[in-house]
Amino acid sequence: MKRSLVLALAALCAALLIPGAPVASTTLKGPGVIRITSRETNFTRVDTGAVGRSPGDMEISRLQLYNTRIRQRPIGHGQLVCIYTGDNLRNCDGTFVLPAGKLVVSGGLVYRSLYDLAVIGGTGLYSNVRGTLVVTRVRQKAPPGDVLVFRLVVS
Amino acid sequence: MTTSRWQSLETRLVAASIVFALLIAFVFAVLILSVSQLRSATAREARAKDRTVAALELEKLVLDMETGARGLVITGRERLLQPWTAARRQLPHGLAVFEERFADSPQRPQAETLDRLITAYVRDYSVPLVDLARHQPAAARIPLATVEGKHRLDAIRTRFSALLNAENRFAATSAASARSRSQSAITGAIAGLAMSALLIVGFGVYLARAIARPLREAAAGASRLAEGDLSTRLAQSGPGEVGDLTRSFNDMAQKLQSNRLELEEQNERLRESERLKAELVSIVSHELRTPLSSILGFTELLLRRTVDEPTRRSYLEIVVAQSQRLATLLNDFLDAQQAEEGQLHLAEEPIDMATILREQSRVFVGQSDRHEIRLDVDEPLPMRGDSSRMAQVVANLLSNAIKYSPQGGLVEVAGERTAGDVRIRVRDHGLGIPEDEQPRIFTKFFRGGAAASGISGTGLGLAISREIVEAHGGGIGFSSTPGSGSTFWLELPADANGDAAEHTATKGDT
Repeated sequence: MKRSLVLALAALCAALLIPGAPVASTTLKGPGVIRITSRETNFTRVDTGAVGRSPGDMEISRLQLYNTRIRQRPIGHGQLVCIYTGDNLRNCDGTFVLPAGKLVVSGGLVYRSLYDLAVIGGTGLYSNVRGTLVVTRVRQKAPPGDVLVFRLVVS
Repeated sequence: MTTSRWQSLETRLVAASIVFALLIAFVFAVLILSVSQLRSATAREARAKDRTVAALELEKLVLDMETGARGLVITGRERLLQPWTAARRQLPHGLAVFEERFADSPQRPQAETLDRLITAYVRDYSVPLVDLARHQPAAARIPLATVEGKHRLDAIRTRFSALLNAENRFAATSAASARSRSQSAITGAIAGLAMSALLIVGFGVYLARAIARPLREAAAGASRLAEGDLSTRLAQSGPGEVGDLTRSFNDMAQKLQSNRLELEEQNERLRESERLKAELVSIVSHELRTPLSSILGFTELLLRRTVDEPTRRSYLEIVVAQSQRLATLLNDFLDAQQAEEGQLHLAEEPIDMATILREQSRVFVGQSDRHEIRLDVDEPLPMRGDSSRMAQVVANLLSNAIKYSPQGGLVEVAGERTAGDVRIRVRDHGLGIPEDEQPRIFTKFFRGGAAASGISGTGLGLAISREIVEAHGGGIGFSSTPGSGSTFWLELPADANGDAAEHTATKGDT
């Protein structure tokens, strides 16, 4: 009984993850901000070109997503694939899987400590959105932790 | 007439006091309520200002953090981070004060949002940025850092601006409410005080008019009364007991005046009585002395001298006549005394006044050879009464007619029966009665100028006659013209049975 009640509450909170989004709505009706945190669970560097950092190298990050205001366990996961283009520049594509849908990001970055990417679309509740993702690293030690702020607008 | 309980002055004063107390209590209640509301509005305004101050201080801390972090990021100098460090140290307290101040505010939801935004700004942006600036300065200087900071700070400042505007509006509303309450309290206090003052003045005027003035008038009236002005009366005014007081005062004054008049009348009667007594002594001594002198003189002659038989008889007849005169005099006194004491005993029997008139006329015809008595009686005059007393009345009238016609002349005696009455009239053509003496001729012992004129008498005859006539249910009166004579009349109730003549009719006409 207690367990089922906790699950029901968790489901309700998850549905309310996006502020301003009606539970019954299928797409986002207006602009919104999603603030979540991430913890890097896996980081892989693929040295595909010349030895050492060189254009074409790849970085693959896998993340677990949290919203600690709602619950301590992960609410989703994500992956970010970046390809070095030279001079520490990387071009990245990523997908963040959230309870109400996926958000797809893309763009270039220089520093992993602070970067932003374009939100180019999504699925589910986010099928009609675009916007920006600002990522700030708040934990340098392993596993690194970031704060992800999605600022979404309805396209 | 006494005042009812509800009209009494005491009840009115108690009622007025209760009304005053209630009014003043009401005024004070309104004042206390207004002051309480004023304090409440002032407190709200003060809390709104406190919230504004807390919000401004918090905003300043955020700006200090942004400024410090920006200084570090741009210059890389740790010294420029000092505002950030100080602000970060103060921020928890600032946030706590901010949350506490807005806990009961209508803007609490906005404050909570601001709280979250600031916390996120510090945790998600400012602290990582400073850390980044220290360890990776180039990364901290990318445009994104500036844009993100500006973006977050703009959001915070916009929220602060909206919050402060709302708080300012709330403070303005509270201030306006406080001013309104203050104005209401002042207006209420002024109105209440004015009303209380008016009522107190009105009550004072009422007391002055309803109590003080009547009492002052009563005191003045009492003084006038004490000075002897018994005609003093107070205006019938004043409520309750005051009205009772004025009525009682007037009743007292009325009784005092009546008693005084009665005392004056009694005094006058006493003086008159004293005068009459003195006159009585004079009359009695004179009336008694004359016959007594004759009796003494003739009896001494009879004792000292030897007189022949005719002379002796003549002397004895004089002595008898004077003795009878004395007896008559004493009888008159006794009658007057009995009448005065209400002990005049009358027989009640059928009598004929015509017979009495004839008898008395016959008696008096022989007493004066200078007077002619003309009797005009054509019918029986029956009535019920005391025949001897009525004869005494008629004799008195005839005696007076003869005495007060010293020159002689005609004395007319008439009797007739009118509707239900027997009317008798005795008229002489003598001296008449002076007008100033006419009102008093039925007074005992009053003789007017008769004594000085040498006309004998006691002054009792007419008084006794009136007592006798009135005791028979009749009346006696007169009309007189000085120098032309007088007419005395009697009106007596006739006996309806008309059989008096059978009992008392006597022997023929004069």
